Amino acid sequence: MSLASGPGRAAGLLSDQELCPEKHIEYIKKLDSRKDELEYWLTEHLRLNGLYWGLTALNLLGCPDGLPREDAINFVLSCQQNNGGFGAAPDHDAHILYTVSAVQTLVTLDAVDELDNRGLGGKQKIGSFIAGLQDQETGSFMGDEWGELDTRFLYGALNALSLLGLLDMVDVAKAVSYLQKCENLDGGYGISPGAESHAGQVFTCVGALAIAGRLDLVDKDRLGRWLSERQLDNGGLNGRPEKLEDACYSWWVGASLAMIGKLHWIDGAKLAAFIIRCQDPDTGGFADRPDHTVDVFHTLFAVAGLSLLGFEGIAEVDPVYCMPKSITRKIFSA
Amino acid sequence: MASHGIPRHSSLEATGEARQQELRRIEKYRELEQVVRQEIAGHQYTPETLQRLSELLKKNPEYYTAWNYRRRVLQHEFSEAVSEDSNEAAMDRITTLIKTDLQFLIPLLRSFPKCYWIWNYRLWLLNETKRLLPKPTARRLWQEELALVGKMLSLDSRNFHGWGYRRFVVETLETLSSEEESEKNLAQVEFEYAKKMIGTNLSNFSAWHYRTKLIQRLLNEKSASDEERKQMLDDELELIHRALCDPYDQSLWFYHQNLMCVFDPTTSGQTMAPNLTKTERLDYLRREIEEIQEMLDGAEDCKYLYQALIDYTLLAARVEGTRPGEDQTAQVLDWLSELKKLDPLRAGRWLELEESVCR
Repeated sequence: MSLASGPGRAAGLLSDQELCPEKHIEYIKKLDSRKDELEYWLTEHLRLNGLYWGLTALNLLGCPDGLPREDAINFVLSCQQNNGGFGAAPDHDAHILYTVSAVQTLVTLDAVDELDNRGLGGKQKIGSFIAGLQDQETGSFMGDEWGELDTRFLYGALNALSLLGLLDMVDVAKAVSYLQKCENLDGGYGISPGAESHAGQVFTCVGALAIAGRLDLVDKDRLGRWLSERQLDNGGLNGRPEKLEDACYSWWVGASLAMIGKLHWIDGAKLAAFIIRCQDPDTGGFADRPDHTVDVFHTLFAVAGLSLLGFEGIAEVDPVYCMPKSITRKIFSA
Repeated sequence: MASHGIPRHSSLEATGEARQQELRRIEKYRELEQVVRQEIAGHQYTPETLQRLSELLKKNPEYYTAWNYRRRVLQHEFSEAVSEDSNEAAMDRITTLIKTDLQFLIPLLRSFPKCYWIWNYRLWLLNETKRLLPKPTARRLWQEELALVGKMLSLDSRNFHGWGYRRFVVETLETLSSEEESEKNLAQVEFEYAKKMIGTNLSNFSAWHYRTKLIQRLLNEKSASDEERKQMLDDELELIHRALCDPYDQSLWFYHQNLMCVFDPTTSGQTMAPNLTKTERLDYLRREIEEIQEMLDGAEDCKYLYQALIDYTLLAARVEGTRPGEDQTAQVLDWLSELKKLDPLRAGRWLELEESVCR
């Protein structure tokens, strides 16, 4: 069971103001049957992310059983490497980006126990892989053994560990102090200390602080201002000043605003209308902008964006984890 | 990610020939991938494997595991060089290997400037020079990177990867230089670079951001006095006022806002002039408010001006340690009603602000 980000096919003629959930469900379900397209093979490095993106979108669209559960679990487990981490597909090297998708997928499928039954050393082994990536000196996280540092990895680490109940395997306080160093005077956060604020990195830093229980460190007023200025007249959101809008920023910006309680600082109706203009009403799926090629990445973040806005017919999403709220609620109340 | 900015195309709906071609392309790609995987699994770290990896990565630069394979092959070649050759010959061989690989990456970076994996791989390769080569040789290679990243940023002056990479190259060059060398401290050179980039395009917020960080560094490194810091602040305010003859540019306002953090007691500690007195702060704020009010003339439809006026009026009251007076409150509400008209997208924000002013 695996999903690719296959291209869409035809320009839409339908009214562009109406969401077509059935089309999106069909689009996602069929992604794994596109093996006769070169794109399928060229995107193998995204397969496990793709499964998480597709599965989560299906859940939010009210179709949690849209993918065969057993196949999905088998695929996730087949991506685990001897060091405990997960690669993008079988025989791909382990990396935090795929490890977090593996954990999120297993949690969503209520299949974490399978790690003990059939995985390599249970969830503890995943925890050790992730803990081994923390830089002891700064508290930040590497993506894999080759040492690249990025606040995306720090977020991924805290996300996966907290879902597994293993947050105490790493130095959370040190990670928090590293995140503070990534904060800029505009209230936003960058990829590393000194880097320009970027909405994607704002999401990862604020999300990590939320998981660490330290949202009190965020300058919510200043950050809220910077984030709300991401909305453009066409309703869409961009990732930095003077850049173009993109449907995936509906999530990076929207979820960040939601986490700091400022989602009402942008025009939700106009954002929703923009997101819907990004769907392909014929083939299903969402693109970065209207009339562009759809893919499963933008499909999830567009649907999740609609969910943040309380769009009718879409299940509630957790702004910290980008998973169905019903699932994270269950995990963290247990 | 997979498809940013690709126009939707009507399908080549599997007509016989097109379909056959696609299947042949898939077959060729998968064959190449299979061969590479087998060779790596068999620890066959040869120049031929490297060649095939180049082919594979040119077809698919996002294939991160293939970049890792490439690292392993090269590491193998490095250690062979060390064990087989005299020291000098080994260094030459390793230098050539690294240079050749750096060359291989250039067309890929040009075609895929937003691919994380290529940038990472390049950094890894350059970091290997620090581990393996004599310092002067390593330094020469890093110096060339500064030129390369300059070229990349002239092609796309907001490339996020490019700016991050530049910071990293500068940091490394500084650590690789010895005391007497001019590259020991590149802050001034980089300050000039940021200035040049801003001159080319005033809307380049990445360059403004870089400028902010460099100013801090320059002042700290020369242990600037409060007077010198104030001078720098005055220069920056003058610069931004001149730039703001186009008040519709968001990047400029973010830089302005950044300068205004100097006067905010909650942020001043992290700014270029942390030790201003309360009176000085209030003087500056008053002058800014006047300046911005003048800008309104002929730009009454510019929402940033009203935002700034409101922010700085409220900030002045905070610095004063009082609540805004009746006149000030009336004025703020006036500006707010303009803002609500000009910027309905953020109506919720203005409403909340209004409530807090009236409270």
